[in-house]
Amino acid sequence: MKVENIAYACVTRFVESGEGNREALHWVDTDLTESSYSFEYFDREASRVATILRQLGVTQGDTVSIFIPRSPILISVFFGIQKALGISCILFGTLGEEGLLDRLSNSNAKVVITRKSLLRKILAIKDKLPALQKILTIDHDDHQSDTVLSLKKLMAETKAVFDYPHMVDGETPAFLQYTSGSTGKPKGALHAHGALEDMRQSFRDIMQLEAEDLYWCTADPAWITGIVYGVLAPFGTGTRQVQYSGTYNADNWLKILENLKVNIWYTAPTALRMLMQEDENKFSQYDFSSLKRMYSVGEPLNPEIYHWGKKVFKVEIYDTWWQSETGSMMIGNHPPMMVKPGSMGKPRAGVEALICDDDMRIQPDGKQGLLCLRKGWGSMFRNYFRNEAAYAEKFNGDIYITGDLAWRDEEGYFWYVSRADDVINTAGHLVGPFEVESALLEIEEIVDVAVIGADDPILHKRIIAFVKLRNDQPWTKELELKCRIYVSNKVSTTAIPAEFHVIDSVPKNQSGKILRRVLKAIYEGKDPGDTSTME
Amino acid sequence: MNIEERLSKVFATVFDNDSIEITPELTADDVDEWDSLSHINLMIAIELEFGIEFDQSEIQNFANVGELMASIEEKLAKKN
Repeated sequence: MKVENIAYACVTRFVESGEGNREALHWVDTDLTESSYSFEYFDREASRVATILRQLGVTQGDTVSIFIPRSPILISVFFGIQKALGISCILFGTLGEEGLLDRLSNSNAKVVITRKSLLRKILAIKDKLPALQKILTIDHDDHQSDTVLSLKKLMAETKAVFDYPHMVDGETPAFLQYTSGSTGKPKGALHAHGALEDMRQSFRDIMQLEAEDLYWCTADPAWITGIVYGVLAPFGTGTRQVQYSGTYNADNWLKILENLKVNIWYTAPTALRMLMQEDENKFSQYDFSSLKRMYSVGEPLNPEIYHWGKKVFKVEIYDTWWQSETGSMMIGNHPPMMVKPGSMGKPRAGVEALICDDDMRIQPDGKQGLLCLRKGWGSMFRNYFRNEAAYAEKFNGDIYITGDLAWRDEEGYFWYVSRADDVINTAGHLVGPFEVESALLEIEEIVDVAVIGADDPILHKRIIAFVKLRNDQPWTKELELKCRIYVSNKVSTTAIPAEFHVIDSVPKNQSGKILRRVLKAIYEGKDPGDTSTME
Repeated sequence: MNIEERLSKVFATVFDNDSIEITPELTADDVDEWDSLSHINLMIAIELEFGIEFDQSEIQNFANVGELMASIEEKLAKKN
């Protein structure tokens, strides 16, 4: 089925309909300087990017990675890739060498767009990336070599005209979103142009913005929420929106809410928990009367934070649940639903959510099991890029297995319990224990390691590493720092263990699999249960 | 080595980047890898390098490198 190209639906069509001068994005820098960008601006800049990519040999289905911090240029580049029918892959600047290599390698990135300060990371691994042909930097004035080119210079030399098909097959790949599993390397959930309509519909159904409402999604576009509900859905629906260039900053955030009169705010429980740590008097200095509703995503919104947020901001907070793979909100709370604090809410229209046991039998209300979704919604991921086996493992017939445990009450509300696997959800980022363990095992003082997640009052889960040291090797603060820095620079800052515990041996079963439940039980001071299979 | 040079060495190690220019105005927003999680690494590394300790509120409230350097100088002066 033919659908609108994402770039056409999100920017070009506004220009064609005479709304090109309308503000698409109100941008706030970390010093609170504001600037305004129109749909016409993004359409023009995206055409330049698409022309450049085409000249560099990017054709349909080629991957172009975006490795720059959130910024208007990131959005222009994203739409430029869509116009050129490439596959965009936005990556966090905090990724370490191995984390970056895994993603650039699996995605077969042909071009990477980055900036001076991040260039060294790409150059360090370039020899291991045979598909990589060009690196474009956004802040060099001149080309650095035949391979490292200045996007800034190229943009200045390129006309803002690019002829591209406004209608494409709905299955045309559009972007990749990497996510971690309990084993193996990160997997790239592949989304298609045809997913946009479902993303927009979910945005309308759940956020329910009125024409003049100002919307703010705090998520980074390298995160699925940031690209879907910070770029695609608001651009695709012509929503007035603000974005802030920095990360969490309580004072700046509160000033933005007040000064810009934000109406609908989509943020994360970790951010709310961090705000909760601030001096309570801080909040009374601001006027949040423009705020109509808040929404939350990333981890469960526990009742404590829900009640705190409601008291401070004086509006309802609606939790939502979805994943990189689902492409849009699947289960959520929204007006006029009554919110049950701590609940995920109900499946949105068109989504069938089920609770199944390990044999995929549907469970009755009140019984905990695997949270599953029946295939068929429009924004479902089309594959794990170059990893069909992992994709197949996520399905049982037409049932998608989310990897979360939950239960449903008799009124149809779903309640999150935990992950069903070993993946650790820390501050909304999924971290696979395997990635952290692999990095730690490269440290010469460590001979064995196991990683688990434990409850954390701010991050939802924090990463705990159990390490077995070489004979007579003492555990010191210097060694802890070495481990922390190594994981940060090798994998990602989000993978840094919050705690290290030295153990004599890592509990494993007879086939060598780490018995994480035993470590979890020991850590929590509980009975480890049946250990008969332990080595 | 003076404080600034030692701090520059710490930043290079923690963020695996020797091109970071240490200035009083430098903030986490200027360094790609500097977020709330790697900030803890930075604080531990500074404590070890200078033989000082920061309390929790200090760790969370340094607005920029200038404030960080002032705190290091103050702690070193007290120590001596």
